[in-house]
Parts: sequence; C-alpha cells; structure tokens
Amino acid sequence: MRYKPTFRRLLSLVGIVAVFALLAASCGDDDDGEAAPATTAAPAEPEAPAEPEAEPEAEPEEMEEMEEMEEMDDHAHVHLGILGECEGAFGAFHEDVVAGASLPFITFAGGTSNSPTSALEGFSGAVVAGVPIEVVGIGCGDDTPDRIIQEVRKIVEQDGANVVIGPLSGDESIAIANYAKDHPEVTFLNGIAGAQETTMVVQAPNFFRFNGDGAQWNAGLGDILHNEAGWDTAAVIADDYSFGWTSTAGFIAEFCAVGGEVISRVFPPLGTTDYSSFVQQLPDPDEVDGYFWAVGGSGTNASLEAFLAAKGDLTGDQHAGNLFFSPALAAALGTDIAGAYVGGFATLPGDVSSPAIQEYLASADAAWDSLVSPMSGMEPGSPAAAAGFGFFYGFYSSAVAFIMALEQVGGDLSDNHAALRDALANIQIDGPYGTITLDDNRQAIVDTSVQQLVLNDAGEVVSQTVALIPAVDQSFGGTFSPTTPPPDRENPVCETRDLPWAGNAIPVVDGVPQS
Amino acid sequence: MSPTGAAPGRAQSRRTLRRLLSARNVVVAAATALALLLPLFGSNFFVEFVMTRTMILGIAAATIVFLAAYGGMVSLAQYLLAGVAGFMVGNAVVAQDAWSKGLKLGWNPWVAVLFALAVTTAVAFVLGALASRTTGIYFLMITLTYAVIGYYVFGSITPLSGFGGITGIDPPGLFEDHPQRMYLALVVLSVLVYVAFRVLAVTPFGLALQGIRDDPVRMASLGFNVSLHRTLAFTLAGFTAGLAGVFNVWWNGQIDPTSISIGPTLDLLIVAVIGGTLSLEGAWLGAFVFVAANNYLRNLPLVDHIGITEARFNTIVGVLVLLIMILSPDGLAGIIDRIRLGLRRLVQLSRGSGAGPPEAAAGSAP
Repeated sequence: MRYKPTFRRLLSLVGIVAVFALLAASCGDDDDGEAAPATTAAPAEPEAPAEPEAEPEAEPEEMEEMEEMEEMDDHAHVHLGILGECEGAFGAFHEDVVAGASLPFITFAGGTSNSPTSALEGFSGAVVAGVPIEVVGIGCGDDTPDRIIQEVRKIVEQDGANVVIGPLSGDESIAIANYAKDHPEVTFLNGIAGAQETTMVVQAPNFFRFNGDGAQWNAGLGDILHNEAGWDTAAVIADDYSFGWTSTAGFIAEFCAVGGEVISRVFPPLGTTDYSSFVQQLPDPDEVDGYFWAVGGSGTNASLEAFLAAKGDLTGDQHAGNLFFSPALAAALGTDIAGAYVGGFATLPGDVSSPAIQEYLASADAAWDSLVSPMSGMEPGSPAAAAGFGFFYGFYSSAVAFIMALEQVGGDLSDNHAALRDALANIQIDGPYGTITLDDNRQAIVDTSVQQLVLNDAGEVVSQTVALIPAVDQSFGGTFSPTTPPPDRENPVCETRDLPWAGNAIPVVDGVPQS
Repeated sequence: MSPTGAAPGRAQSRRTLRRLLSARNVVVAAATALALLLPLFGSNFFVEFVMTRTMILGIAAATIVFLAAYGGMVSLAQYLLAGVAGFMVGNAVVAQDAWSKGLKLGWNPWVAVLFALAVTTAVAFVLGALASRTTGIYFLMITLTYAVIGYYVFGSITPLSGFGGITGIDPPGLFEDHPQRMYLALVVLSVLVYVAFRVLAVTPFGLALQGIRDDPVRMASLGFNVSLHRTLAFTLAGFTAGLAGVFNVWWNGQIDPTSISIGPTLDLLIVAVIGGTLSLEGAWLGAFVFVAANNYLRNLPLVDHIGITEARFNTIVGVLVLLIMILSPDGLAGIIDRIRLGLRRLVQLSRGSGAGPPEAAAGSAP
C-alpha cells in the first residue's frame, strides 16, 4: 500500500509541471509574432538576422541602405495565416485546403514544402516581388463561426498575420467577413466558403472571394432541366441551413427565370436521420416533373432511400441535385439514378482535361510526394487527387490571385495594402478550370459547369460534364442583391427574368467543349 | 463604553480578521490584484483574448460549481442559459438597418442587457422548476436534454437565430474599442460572483441548500421546501450564467445555434472538472488552463514533433482531464489544497515531534 501516495505525488508533479509549462508558454508569447511560428516549425529566413552582424565594416551608405531595407522589411513582409478546418464536418479536408493555399507559393514563388508528405508543416523560402512570405499560423476551425473567430483572432492578434487565406465553410465566412471590417490592416482571401451574404451583403472592403457561392455553382441546371429535360414543375428538398438555402436558391432562381415553376419546398433540419416524414411532404412523381435535391453529408443517401420507400423508383430523368449528388450514390441506390443532372463546383470532373489542368495537377505532385486526403480515402495518396477537388482549388485560386496582385504592385504593402487591394479587385485569373474575375463586391464571377450521372462502358455510374456556363455572377440577373432577402425557406420567390448566361451554355461532348 | 464590554468586541473583531486572512482568501486576493494589474504588463492578446475568455468561462463554470458544491446538482444547462442571454442581447441590440439576422430591435444596449437577464432568469426558473425533483445522474440527464433542445430550438426558430447566427453585435460604448475595459469589468464581475456565492453559502438559504444536498428527505421532514430551494438555486445560477453570456456575446461579436451546441456545453463542464467541481476558485483556474491549452499548447517547442498540433486539442484536454481525475477528483484546486497540506506537514515535521500530531495542528480553528 505504501507505493500509492508516492505514485500520486509523482502524478501530481507531472500535472503541476504541465500547468507550469502552459504558463511559461503563455508568458513567452508576444504581439509581434516573434514567437515560434504556430505550426510551421522551419524558420523561413534563418540568414536574415545574421547578415547585419556578419558585415560590421560595411560602408556608411551600405549601412543606410541596409537600415532602409530593414525598415522596409518591417512593412514588406507577408505573415500568412491559413484558416483550415481540422474538426467538424469538413475536418478531413484540413490537409487539402492548407495544401491548396500553399501550392501557388511553392509553384510560383520559389517556396519549398517543409515536408514531402504533409502540407501542415508549411513551406519556406517563398518570395514574391522581393517580399518574403512566411506562414505564421494555421487555424483549426470546426465549421462553427465561434470557433473560426477565435482561430482568426489568434492568427491575427497573436501570431501577427497580415494576410489570411480561408475559411472553408459558409457560416464561418460571414463571421470572418465581419471580423475583416474591424481589421482594415489585414487582407482576407476566402478559401472555398460559399455563403452568399459574405460578399453580397457584408461587403468588407478587405475581403476577397475568388470562388463562386453556393447559388452560382448551380447555374445552368435550371435552364437545362426546363429547356432540355422538359421539366415545367419541380419540387425541392434541401438541408435547412444557409448552404442548403443558397444552393437551392441558385436552382430556383434559374429554373423560374427561364419559365419553370417550383411547386414545393421542403427543408429537413441538418442532421436528420429519418427523412420519411419530409419525403411525404413532397408531391408524388405523377404530380411534378422532377425533384431537386440539396441534402448533404450522411443525409444524401438517407433521404433518397426514404424517397425510394415512400414514392417508388428513383429515376435519373426525374431527379437532379447539387454537388452532393455523386456517382457514389449508385452503390447504395442502384444504377437507375444514371441520367440525373448535377450542379457544378469549383473544379470539373476528370472527364474534362486540358493542358492547363494537367499542368496544375502535376504541380501538386511536384510539391509533395503524397498527401492524406479524403480524395485518396484518408490514406497517403497522390496530391493531384486532392488538387482535383474544389476545396483544394478554392484555396489555390485565392493564393494565385494574391501572388499575381503582389507582383503587379511590386510588393507594395503600404497604406494598409491599398495598392495590393486595388490590384486584387481588378485581377483576372485564367485558371485551369476557367476564368475568374471579381465584381464590385469583390466576389468572383466564375465559369461553372453542369454534370450528368451516366453509365460508362463497364456499367458503372460516373460523372460527366455536359455543359460549361461562362461568367456566372452572384446576382442571377438581379434576383439577388444586397436589398433583397437572403436565401431562406421562402426566398427567392419564383419569377421569370432574363439571365445573362441563359442560352449561352457551352455544350461539352466527350470532355471537349464545343465552342 | 466600559472596558469590559470593549475587550470581547476587540477580540471578536480580531477573530473575524484572522478568519478573513485565511490562506485561501489571501491567495484569492493576490490573484485578483494580479488580474487587475495584468493590463500593465501582459500582451494585448493575452489580456484581451486569453484572460478575457478565461473570465467569461470562469463565471459560467462557477455556476456549475455553485450548483454542484452547494446543491449537489451537476448541470449541463449553464452554457445554454449563457446562450439564451447572448441571443437576447443579439436580437435586441442589432439595429433595423444593419445587415444581420434576428429580430433587429435596435434597443439601447443596457436595456438589452436587462431584457436578456430577465428572459434568462425566467427561463432558468422554469427549467429549474421542471428539474428540481431530480438529483444525481437524472438531474445531469435532464439538463443535458435542455442543452440539446435549446440548440434545436434556436436552430429551428430562425427569426430568433438567423440559423447562420446574429452577427455584428457591438458592446455598449463603454466597452466598444476598449477591450481592456471589458477585461477589467469581467475581473470585477468575477470577484463579485465569487464573493456572492461564498457569502450565500453561509446565509440561511445557503445552509438549507447544503442540507438538501446532504439529505433531502430529512430536510423535507424538517419543513424545508426542497424543490423550491433547488429551483431558486438553479435560477440564481442561470442569472449568473446569463451575465457571462452577455459578456461573451459582446466579446465574440456574434452568436449562432452552434455556439450553444453540445460541444461548448461539454467544454464548460470540462472547465469545471479541471478546476474542481467543489471549489469556486477552481472554475477560473480550470478556465485558464483550458483556454491556455487551446491557444499555447501548439506553440510549445517541439510538441508538433510528437503529434501535438492544433488538431489534437481535444485529445490533449481529454488526457488532461483524465490525469486530473486520477490525481484528484477535486480538480486542480484539490491538488493545490493537497500540496498546501503537504507543505504544512513538512514544516511541522522539520520543527520536530514536539508540535503534536499533524492532524491537530492542521485542524481548523475552534
């Protein structure tokens, strides 16, 4: 029995040491970000502080120049923060999005990855227009606004980031855009978050989004379903939260604009497991021409299963969905789903290939040997697989825009990044998946696509691009504006109107755009 | 005044003074002084983020400790009540023409605070009354149910929460753009809450509550209304959690249904457990360790080489909680108590055996 108190005392000691270590760490930090970079262990420029000491006999002029350079260095230094998500619904994509934000600095700015198998180790040695880029922190969100605010505060207020790339998910981006308003000294570039209000309504002058919102990604779908598939009426069922509403809003706005009518809207709460009562609220297959689905996560399969049980067959000609409608559904639901039209996302399915896409995917493979991504089943896999998915690409295009703009202004970060922001607002990215420009609210005008689930020669359901929709803007021909109600259970209302891209879709046959 | 009357009076006041100058009180007073002086030497981030959040979580966790230590009720509904106050403030203060969601009543922020506290207290009274006949694990389960229902209520009634949350909630002019003032106000509020809970423990209500904690049947047979006492204690804790909720929403600038989901609810319980559910000081101590671990663990040298990255925070906190549960179910406060007693024993041992048995020397004052 005598060992017990000793053991306890030992454990007490360990506990106390742990607490004191925390205290020491908390006292050791400071405001100017001199503390060890949060997650990027490697020092970016180890030789920088050593240089002045190494040449004590420098000429006075040189000394002056060096002082000037040092002064400039204080201002002209990019402390980059990346807001990923290491927990929550999208936690598995943490590596993907950090890699997406890092890749352009490796490909175009001379950086090298600190680890061949993980982007979370950061990169070093990147310089754009003479300005060194240093990753000072990687934020760990969990798709809630509260958490991302705390993470961005740590990255900006403690680690001293002056440029932030992220976040990933919709509600987070609204919170970050609001935070941006209170921090004019920091430039924010959205990751892949798709909430409409982030740019349309909050309108922070230092927040830029180089990807479409949830509504924009569904552009082209309503037109094709009404004018080619012959739907005059549709019912929608979507997750009852901002992304579900926004994604559905894109379908409703276009389907109604070209003359269709939405006769039923059903919104099951997020996290529903039994969809039978919600499916019962939908009209029967003989009462409506088709159904549009925007139910994500584990709900996609569960809700379609509930439809099968309650309403009969799930046929491709009577169903369409947003990006959640993937070929993987066929595994559980059978191949009858082939023929369904599906909305686009930031990237294109693998059936469309171009030299630019090949080059982009190869650059990811050149930067890392492997990455752990959901696109490779959470095993170390090809970085190109991760790069081919929209989450990676959203962060990538923001970093590309930043590098282009910084080069354009010759590294000028003065006056709260005024010149840089001007350049960002007017930049045009000719990216691998289409052209991106910004509107007056600093929101991307993007090319998007419509896909279709089809049977391949082996009898498997695969995704195939059927049309490219060029230059889709956020307003949908005036359906959405800062003064109209944001998408919700009742909005937008169903109205006919002119859409700039209606009728301009570029058909894609066998992966080749027909224009 | 006759000398014979003055002498006992002086003796009594000396005794009171000696009681007030207990080691516990001196340490708390020193910690308070340190907290008040912190803005003079602490970095902005440390004061405005780490310590401000520590104070907010500390006040909220203190309500769990109060209910557990004096009432024998471990509540998981305290973060919900803080959230109710936050939502009420958000709905009340955001102006009609501002871009945000919620009711956008555009009220004066101080009126909004009164409104929020009134609603929170009323909600706490109703929830407390419903749960007052249960105890132990059943009370825990009922309050867990409250927390889950609360999340879904705000998630479903979107006019109240906007689902995506109410953003752009500014604190009153007194605190807007003055985060250090907000911190100092929180320190003062923390002291008030701490003193109030300790004073309450020796009032007839507090004593009856502790009696109910120990033996509700006997207290009922003595004529005490057990349910009413529990309900009132829960209501008071709800009101206090509401205060923390008001500051939390001012500090965070926004609130949404996920702010009160099961994650933050459990985080608050973890804070109370780390600090010690039987010691009021432990609430703030636990909050500090929790917030500091969240923000600084990843900055410790070399920890990322052993896999401690920001993504492992929950694992670390889990291990920390386990460690503390093994070391001392009374949390960090219990460990500190044990060390204090150990030191005292060491001192007595070093003075020789003439001091008598350690139990007698360490025993409480007559």
